[in-house]
Amino acid sequence: MNILGIPILTFVTFFPVAGMVVLLALPGSRTRAIKLAANIFTGLEFVATLLLLTRFDAASGDMQLLERAPWIKAIGAQYLLGVDGISLLLVLLTSLLTFIATLSSWQAVEKRLKEYYVFLLLLETGMIGVFLALDLLLFYVFWEVVLVPMYFLIGVWGGERKLYAAIKFFLYTLFGSVAMLVGILVLRSQHQTFDVLAMLGAGSVLPVSLQGWVFLAFFLGFAIKVPMFPFHTWLPDAHVEAPTAGSVILAGVLLKMGTYGFLRFSMPLLPDAARRYAPAIVVLALVAIVYGALVSLMQKDMKKLIAYSSVSHMGFVMLGLFVLTPLAAKGAVLQMVNHGISTGALFLIVGIIYERRHTRLIAEFGGLASRMPVYAAVFLIMTMSSIGLPGLNGFIGEFMILMGTFPVSWLWTAVAATGIILGAGYMLWLYQRVMFGRLANPANESLKDLTLRELATFLPLIVLAFWIGIFPKPFLAVLDKPVEKIIRVVNPAHFEAPR
Amino acid sequence: MTAAASAGLGHFLPEVVLLAAAVASMFVHLFVKRGGRRAAGYVALAGIAAAAVALALTPPSAEPYFAGHLAADGFALFFKAVILAAGVLAIVLAFRFFDVERSEPGEAYYLILLSMIGMTAAVSATDMVTTYVTFELFAIPSYVLAGIFKKERRSAEAGIKYFFLGTLSSAVMLLGMALVYGLTGLTGYTEAGPLLAGGSGLAALVAMSLFFVGLFFKAAFVPFHMWAPDVYEGAPTPLVVFLSTAPKAAVVAILVRAMTTLFGGYALEWSGILQAVALATMFWGNLAALTQTSLKRMLAYSAIAQAGYLAIGLAAWGEPARMAILFYIAVYVVMNAAAFGLILLVGGGGRFDESVDGLRGLVRRAPVAAASVLVVLLALTGIPPTAGFMGKYFLFAAAVDKGLVLLAAAGALNSAISLFYYFRIGKAMFLEDAAPAIPGAGPAAAESVSRTVTVVLALSAAALLLFGILPGLLTAPAASAVLGR
Repeated sequence: MNILGIPILTFVTFFPVAGMVVLLALPGSRTRAIKLAANIFTGLEFVATLLLLTRFDAASGDMQLLERAPWIKAIGAQYLLGVDGISLLLVLLTSLLTFIATLSSWQAVEKRLKEYYVFLLLLETGMIGVFLALDLLLFYVFWEVVLVPMYFLIGVWGGERKLYAAIKFFLYTLFGSVAMLVGILVLRSQHQTFDVLAMLGAGSVLPVSLQGWVFLAFFLGFAIKVPMFPFHTWLPDAHVEAPTAGSVILAGVLLKMGTYGFLRFSMPLLPDAARRYAPAIVVLALVAIVYGALVSLMQKDMKKLIAYSSVSHMGFVMLGLFVLTPLAAKGAVLQMVNHGISTGALFLIVGIIYERRHTRLIAEFGGLASRMPVYAAVFLIMTMSSIGLPGLNGFIGEFMILMGTFPVSWLWTAVAATGIILGAGYMLWLYQRVMFGRLANPANESLKDLTLRELATFLPLIVLAFWIGIFPKPFLAVLDKPVEKIIRVVNPAHFEAPR
Repeated sequence: MTAAASAGLGHFLPEVVLLAAAVASMFVHLFVKRGGRRAAGYVALAGIAAAAVALALTPPSAEPYFAGHLAADGFALFFKAVILAAGVLAIVLAFRFFDVERSEPGEAYYLILLSMIGMTAAVSATDMVTTYVTFELFAIPSYVLAGIFKKERRSAEAGIKYFFLGTLSSAVMLLGMALVYGLTGLTGYTEAGPLLAGGSGLAALVAMSLFFVGLFFKAAFVPFHMWAPDVYEGAPTPLVVFLSTAPKAAVVAILVRAMTTLFGGYALEWSGILQAVALATMFWGNLAALTQTSLKRMLAYSAIAQAGYLAIGLAAWGEPARMAILFYIAVYVVMNAAAFGLILLVGGGGRFDESVDGLRGLVRRAPVAAASVLVVLLALTGIPPTAGFMGKYFLFAAAVDKGLVLLAAAGALNSAISLFYYFRIGKAMFLEDAAPAIPGAGPAAAESVSRTVTVVLALSAAALLLFGILPGLLTAPAASAVLGR
């Protein structure tokens, strides 16, 4: 399928670059035109990714709509893009959140507008490329392309400690990336190709000990991105200092690049090592779930609280992936999407109050519900979604992960469940302190409720939260086959044993 | 005999053209009264352009020329092209530099050409005597170039330091060559090689080590790098562009030739030596760069570290490694020239600001220049989609294919370390606001951003992106240069 004569996957990957070119051509003084163009491009990009659905065959677990061309002949690297259910959901999440992030920046960003939107669009190309690339070198290129615009988004438009947070983010992730690059080099040297599909077709040609080393190299790259405990220390800084749109994309999409990497590359390409290290990773994930939740309880800054809650939630995703059952893994992928929706929305919610009051300290607020009823409702829905209230999206994902974990270990399930309880604790306590009670602080007297534009940014997220919560079937349907296919490679024993 | 010699000369037309241009440039400098100095520069540029045309018309040939002393194979031709590019970049940037300094030593132009003749011949040399002669031929003008501002202490000191240490290392290299001659009675690489491999191992290893020391010195490999930061800091910036790129290219060519032919029997040994050198050079260069406050000195250490990546390729033998070396050396010349070029970006009123602060807020004043520098920094760090990444990738891949996984991992780690200091520049340009007027310099100084330098940087950035996204454009000639036609 083509759009304007360009194959669709290439189109959705590079359309934002076209937007960049247009923005660069606009004079910097035409702020309204720049904003408008940026919104139109991210909006059209979202529509373009929706078009993928018309050609996507949910019944197949294979990579679809493959686009293949030689890229670097000397080393056999290819331009190879493809999409399956997992990629599809993440690409849709990316284009939606980028559109929402752009929309939410209309008033929030005032300085150096042109650069801001250029970086945002470059970021989108990088992220979508990561989720579509099936050639390891190409994947690496997209993976790294993401770093630079994010560095600038934090460093230029961030908060007080932006310089520190920006370089910390860049350095941490680059150290992980170069470790992954070494892993890619070894894989390529063993398989004589970068083509992930060909590697999968060849089966496991790597000796188990070598698999372990490569797995470790990939682990550093992906675990820092997720981030897993104890590699998470860049996250609170980056999330807190980033501008709202940056936080939305960081939490909503960038963290998923890590978990996606585990699922797409580490697990099926290095199945023996993945199986061997799975218990250790599960333990780290459980630590992250409980530790992230406990630290969230202690936070005085709303944004920092949401940031640490991501550590906990991503721990859930990692748990779901590495118990190596299809049910939990499907739950984990769905939870990636859910976390993007709820945490993305929560960062927007914090961003809105910050725009009005220029503070995010919980103690500064209280009783806002009486002044901002619509805001209160949106905040409540997203709090519930984050906690995992039945009827909303968070519940489905977490429940599937727990259900998939239980047959493997009741202990793991129990520890993870405490994380949910703690999660309810810090989120509800946050909501209570900010929204309920008396309106004690006079500075909050004149707060305005959501504008129509702000409400519009939340609307798709709210709809999705309810949709996934009430009728998740279409989302799970695209995940069934591809996830099962991966788990079948990693943990064939699960399918043999009579359970 | 004369017929054979003149037939051979056809394959060395670039050198002949360069020599003619050097003489012409010298005469223009001497005898044209008004504007003769700048005219000498234009003559030099035209000469390099003519040499490039001559080079393009020279078909690669596997035959030995001049009694087996010189080769004109694809390998040599590739290096010659790289050296010509380095010369062009240096001369163009020199125009800007001399304008700001209000002093134009016109002899620099033909000294650069003379040095280039030595280099282009050195990459063709297949005989120890020719290697030594050409090596000195490119070294001696480069000592003068480093100290060309005689009256300025830093420049004079750089020249003297470079000269003394340089001649010492040449002497050590000559000693190694003498040993090889003593062991084999031959001077040709391909002839002496088998005899050396069959003979006494220890003496040959001593000869090889001495031979390499001279080359390592010139390439500023650690631990023979001590002169480099001082010379690069003291010498005029555009000449550093030349001194930190072209000689390294020539040395790498000599090394590859010597390792594959003369010392072909000692692959294990030279690979070991180069692995150690690569590790030392990368770590020392990058860690030392981290601690620098002067932009120019930081870039000097960066140039050292970048050569360390090349040593990875030298340590890994075989055709993929050689292809990677060719790719990287071409990229290195562009990256490094642009890196030193960025010092020339901002300044005026006679002095360049050699601290990172001078670049603060550059994106507001000169967005094109700042964006170009950003690409150059990404390339130096090794972040895609730039040619700097691809070059490092090819080098690391060649190492991994030979089982040198830890060496590749060390290289990758260094690429991450280098981010820290390269992005001090990125941070200053993009994230910080313009510094208050520099004390001592007029307010206009901070404002003037050179158009010449901007164009050089933009073209470099475009090339780095092009070869980063479509590396095939450069791997194809590199591969054919390695494989022969």
